[in-house]
Order: sequence, then C-alpha cells, then structure tokens
Amino acid sequence: MTFDQILQQLVDTTAGTYGPFEWSAAYFRQTFEIFMTSSLGRFSPEIILCITIVSLLKLRLFNCDRWIPPYATALVGSIVAVGLALYQFQTLRMSAEPVVAEFFTGLMIYDQFTVYFRLLLLIFLVLVVALTVVSGIPDRDDGPDFYTLLFGAAVGMMMMAGANHLLILFLSIEMASVPSYAMVGFLKGRRPSSEASLKYVVYGAGSAGVMLYGLSLLTGLLGTATLISVDGSTPDLASRLGLVLAGNTAGTAASLVSNPGLTILLAILMVFVGLAFKLSIVPFHFWCPDAFEGAAAEVGGFLSVASKAGAFALLVRFCIALTGNPDPSLAGLNLSLGIGLGVAAAVTATFGNLAAYSQKNMKRLLAYSTIAHAGYMLMAVSALVIIRGANPSGVPGLTSAGLDAEARRCLEALLYYLAVYLFMNLGAFAIVALIRNQIFSEEIEDYRGLAGEAPVLCVCMLICLFSLVGLPPLGGFWAKLEIFASLFQAGRVHWFMWVVLGIAAVNTVFSLFYYMRVLKSMFLTERPVGARSALVPFRSAPGLYVVMVSVPVLLLGVLAGPLSQTANNVARILLR
Amino acid sequence: MDATTILFWIFASISCAAAVAVVATQNVVRMAFWLIVSLGSVAGLYFLLSADFVAATQLLIYVGGTLVLLIFGVMLTATGPYSQIRTSPGEALLAGGVGSLFLAMIITTVVSVDWDSLAAIQQQDPSYASYAHEPGFNPAEEGNTARPLGLKMLGISLEDLGRTDGSLSHGYLLPFEIVSIHLLVVLIGASYLARAKRRSRPDQPS
Repeated sequence: MTFDQILQQLVDTTAGTYGPFEWSAAYFRQTFEIFMTSSLGRFSPEIILCITIVSLLKLRLFNCDRWIPPYATALVGSIVAVGLALYQFQTLRMSAEPVVAEFFTGLMIYDQFTVYFRLLLLIFLVLVVALTVVSGIPDRDDGPDFYTLLFGAAVGMMMMAGANHLLILFLSIEMASVPSYAMVGFLKGRRPSSEASLKYVVYGAGSAGVMLYGLSLLTGLLGTATLISVDGSTPDLASRLGLVLAGNTAGTAASLVSNPGLTILLAILMVFVGLAFKLSIVPFHFWCPDAFEGAAAEVGGFLSVASKAGAFALLVRFCIALTGNPDPSLAGLNLSLGIGLGVAAAVTATFGNLAAYSQKNMKRLLAYSTIAHAGYMLMAVSALVIIRGANPSGVPGLTSAGLDAEARRCLEALLYYLAVYLFMNLGAFAIVALIRNQIFSEEIEDYRGLAGEAPVLCVCMLICLFSLVGLPPLGGFWAKLEIFASLFQAGRVHWFMWVVLGIAAVNTVFSLFYYMRVLKSMFLTERPVGARSALVPFRSAPGLYVVMVSVPVLLLGVLAGPLSQTANNVARILLR
Repeated sequence: MDATTILFWIFASISCAAAVAVVATQNVVRMAFWLIVSLGSVAGLYFLLSADFVAATQLLIYVGGTLVLLIFGVMLTATGPYSQIRTSPGEALLAGGVGSLFLAMIITTVVSVDWDSLAAIQQQDPSYASYAHEPGFNPAEEGNTARPLGLKMLGISLEDLGRTDGSLSHGYLLPFEIVSIHLLVVLIGASYLARAKRRSRPDQPS
C-alpha cells in the first residue's frame, strides 16, 4: 500500500457512501444509518457522554447552571446515550448475520457483547443520576464536578466492554478508576471519606503498576497486544500463545514450569491482579469496605455495580482471548487458569459472606455482600474458562457442540446475573441513601422498626435483599440458578468445579442470615422511643424511585425468559 | 565490550542505585532529587535503544514536568522546611522482604526466557509475512522515531507501506484522544478536592 491508500482506507470506514444533500427525512435517516457504521458512529454513546461532560463545564463557565440545573444536563446526556445504544443493540439484534467488527483500526471491537454492556451501564447511569436528584447528594454548586467524574468513569467502563487491545485494557481501567478515587472522597471535610479515598488511591496505584508490568511482559513475550483478531490479519493472543508454547512438551500442566510458559503465566497472573482489584476479589479486596463506608451511598452503589460490570466484561474478553486456541498444548494453561479463577471465586464468596456477618454499618455490610457477589460471578467465568479449554474427546457424554452450548450457558449466566445485580444492588444502596436523608444514620441498629414509618422503603429493601440471597420468585434466584447450573456442567470437565459448586451453595444459605438480620431489625422490632422519624410515603419522589428500581427485580424473577434468551444470543455471537 | 554496552551498564546502574536511594532517604526533597537522577538515566537507556522520541518525552514530562511539580508541591504544602518520612524498622523489614521476594520472582522468570529464540518463533507467524518490511521513511535503527510515532497517534501506520493484504495495523488515534477527556475529568476531580467548599449565596452573583 502507498501512503495515499493507507489514508484512504483509514478515512473510508463506513459501509456505504453518503448521497448528495437534500432536505428530506429519508436522506437524514440514510445518512444516520451510514454514519452509525463508521468508527465514530460505533463510538457515539461514549462521545455523547464526553460532550455532556464538556457542556456541564461550559454551562458553569457562563453561569448558565443557575437556570439549567446540572442534573438536567446530565440526565439529557445520559438518556440520549441510552437511545443511541438502544438503536445499536436493536440493529445488531435484527441484522441477518452476526456483526463482529473492529473499529478504530482494531483497538476496539463492536459486537452484541459490547453493546449489551453499554446499554446496561448507560441505563444504570441514568438511574444513578436520577438517584442523585432524589437524594440531593451533590448540591447545586458541586453538581458539575460530580457528574463530570461520574460520566468520566462511565466512559472508561464502557470502553472496558469493547476493549480489543492491551493498551485499551489498561487505559479503560485507569479511566474508570481515577475518577472513582475522587468520587469516594467527594464528601469533603469528613475524615472517613478522605481516608477511604486515600486507601483506594494507594491500592489502585499499586495494582495498576503490577498490571502494567504484566501487560508489558505479555506483549514482549507474545509480540502482539491484540486480544482477538476478527479477520485474522493481525496476530492475536491465542495464535501467539500457541506459537510460543508449542515448542514445549505438549499437554500437561507440568510443561508450564519451563521456559517461557512460566513467564507467560506470571504475566497473566499480574494482569489478573489489576482486574481482581477492580472486582474486589480476595486478596485484593481490602479497599472495598473502607471505600464504601467512607463514600456516599450513591457513589457506593455506582462503584459496586458499574465498575464490576465493566471489569467483568474486560475479564471475559481477556479470558476468551487467552483460551481461544484449541491447540492441545494449551490445555494445561487453560485448566490452570480456570481452576485458579475457581479457587479465587470460592475464597472470595466465602470471605465476603463470613465478614459481612459481623458488620454493624449497613454500607459496610453491603460492601462485603458486593465482594461475595463478585465471587459468585467469577465462578461463572471460571466455569467458562474450564469448558472452553476442555478437550471434547476427554469429556464423557459431551460433544464439541455440547461444550459450546455449555460455554454459552456460563456466559449467559454471567450476563443475566449482572443485569439483575444492577437493579437489586442499586436498590439496596439507594434505600440506604434515602433512609440516611431521613434519620442521618447508616447503622443497622438505627433501622429498628422503620417498617412502620417508611413501609415502601422497607418492602423494597426486602425485595432487593431477598433477591441478593437468591430466593424465588425474584430475579436473583434465576441468576444464581444459572450460575450453579453452569458450574455443575463444568464439573463434568474437571471435578474441582463441583467443589466450587458446593461452596457456592453453602455460601448462599449462609448469606441468608446477615441479610435477614437487617430485615428483622426493620420489620420485627419496635421503633425506639425518641428516634428520628422517617416518614416516606409511597407517593413521594423517594418512594416512587425505589419502587421503580425494585419492580425490575420482581419482573426479572417472574419473566426470566426474554432476558436470558437475549443473553444467550449475545453469548453465541461472542463465542462464535 | 563496545561503547554502547559500557554506556548501558553506566545508565542502568545509576538508575537502579538512584531508585534505591529514593526509598532509602527520608527527606522528601532529596527523594525528589534522586528520582530526577533515576528517571534521567532511564531516558539515557531509551536513547541507547534508539527510541529517541520516548527518551525525549521521558526527559520533558517526567524530569521537566512531573518532578518540578512534585518539588513545588512539597515546597508549598510542607509545614516544616524539610518534612521527613520515617518508617519503623518492622515496616522497613516487611516491605524490604516483600520487595526482594517480588524482585527475585521477576528476575528468575524474565531471565529464564530465551528472548532471541522467542523473537525467531514470533517471526514464524504467517501474518508476519504480510508485512513487506521495506524501509519506510525512517528505519527504526536510525532512531528518528518521532514521525512514525506521531503518525501512529493520528491512526496512520508507516509500517503498512508496501503491505500486500490491504489491512491496516493499529493506529493509536483513540487512546490519544480519549486520554484528553480522561485528563480533563481528572483535572476537574483534583481541583474539586483541592478547593475549599464554596458556599452558595443566592443574593450575589458568584
């Protein structure tokens, strides 16, 4: 290619050519459709968020924020972005053949998986902005700052879902993390808040350093930074792994303890450290309870759901890239990865549930519950890695197609879990924030007898917490069931997954106790004399908001079919 | 032993020694000085690798920008003339132990790889052949990397010149642009945390 041809190819990324300009709806629709196939069009939801950030700052610069409140700008921006993401999702769902396309010269990937997470994160962003309006935590002066940080983090999380290059992997994690540090310390003048923020920064910087070292080691060893090459034109991780490890004696995990398998394993482990920090997997969870206790409950809700969802999308992309090579000499690597993730998941779930038991502060309890749920979701990923790495001939009763179906089911479980988790965890954090506005306390002790005064909040809390436990007929039940089913199937490949399944089941029973303690305090005890009253009627903004967040939890429990079908489709295209 | 090797050992040992000195000194200003020495000699290593653009950036941004900012920060915020950071012997022992274990792990794994044969293996990749490997405007061996890097930031890869299969390799337009949004957001966050809480007075324009 000559320089001109390169330039031409770079500019000309759309699927069609724009026609001559005319004032007609048909022209605008066609132009829009062509634009949405270009790199900028595929990136448009993120760009809308960037535009919103800039307009928030500009409006304050010209003192317009006295007439246009910052939350209105933020709401409009995020709703427009949801609209675009919905359009993308709908187009992808309707397209006759599966669309998997690279954009921005292969740095990002555009498929249903990307857009599913985009949509999830943007809907969540709208809900969080609405929550800040209801609970009023950033006041009018601080609004632009808060929403700038919130949207900046959201752009990073959305980029996580579409990352197809190790550089974007690192960049998106940093883009999501650094604004989060500032958000945790957003309540100024409060010592716990600043302390939490500082702890978060120090842990974050350390894990980012380790991860960066791992990334550079991995890139150096494999000579590529592309996760998955769609058309096979650039070398990707899977093909290079096969090439580099093929020189080793094939097949067994023992072959990893040789040159350069051990170094590759170390590099992968270091990348997982960075991801585990974002997911608050034991032993990289220390920041989580302190950060959540120090931060406002709204920020805690945002971090516990959005940053987990983004990091899981990234983890899945990375794991799929690593396990993409069916070469039998990589079976040992895949198996050790899967079992390693399984051990981490089991330990995380157990630790989170055990530590939550003795908590007195509601936000700390929810932080440990977040850790436990990250453990459950990681189990689905470990099952996915185990099944993807399995040799079809080595598993009795499962054909190659059967293994593919089971891999899809693992991913479907994760996607379903994240969608339900969005609503139930946001609901719990929102109710903590709204109760705090009434009684100025987040201690479980002070929740005694609240059911008599704020029945809406308490009933919605009951729905959210029961769903977190995984009781039928709520959304959390199906989510847990799907994860357990995928663990069971993965156990047919390697027995260790059955151990993980057992641990997960015991954990579920155990988690019932500490969630019940909160509900018992709310429903079954009398309100102490002289306690602050918390009268939240049904027909008020807080009442309606919590109902709006809790109803999907119920709906996803009763009507699990459509979402799990969608999730299965997304998984099918990702694992094609 | 040629001059490049000798220079490499000089720069490498200076950067390591200065890095140890950063940790060992207790005075913040001296730490910043040792950091200048360490990062400066890392820039020297980059020059030896013919990565002149990265080396210049290292000097400009780290030595010229970040460290000056760091020293300003220390000067403006320290309560005494020389603020000291003391560590208890237990902490020093623990941190030293963990640090040396980590170092030992990294050294043993990295040294165990035969990097030359690894590069040969990587070149067996069929997709490697689609690059024609014709000299572009500036071969990397001559240094002079600013133009290829700058064009990469705009999404154009000069290594695609003469490539036969018509596909593009990675350009870094997206990271280059999105980092500016990231820096804007971080700047807003930093200024929010640094400034005193504003009290809104509705009767006066702010």
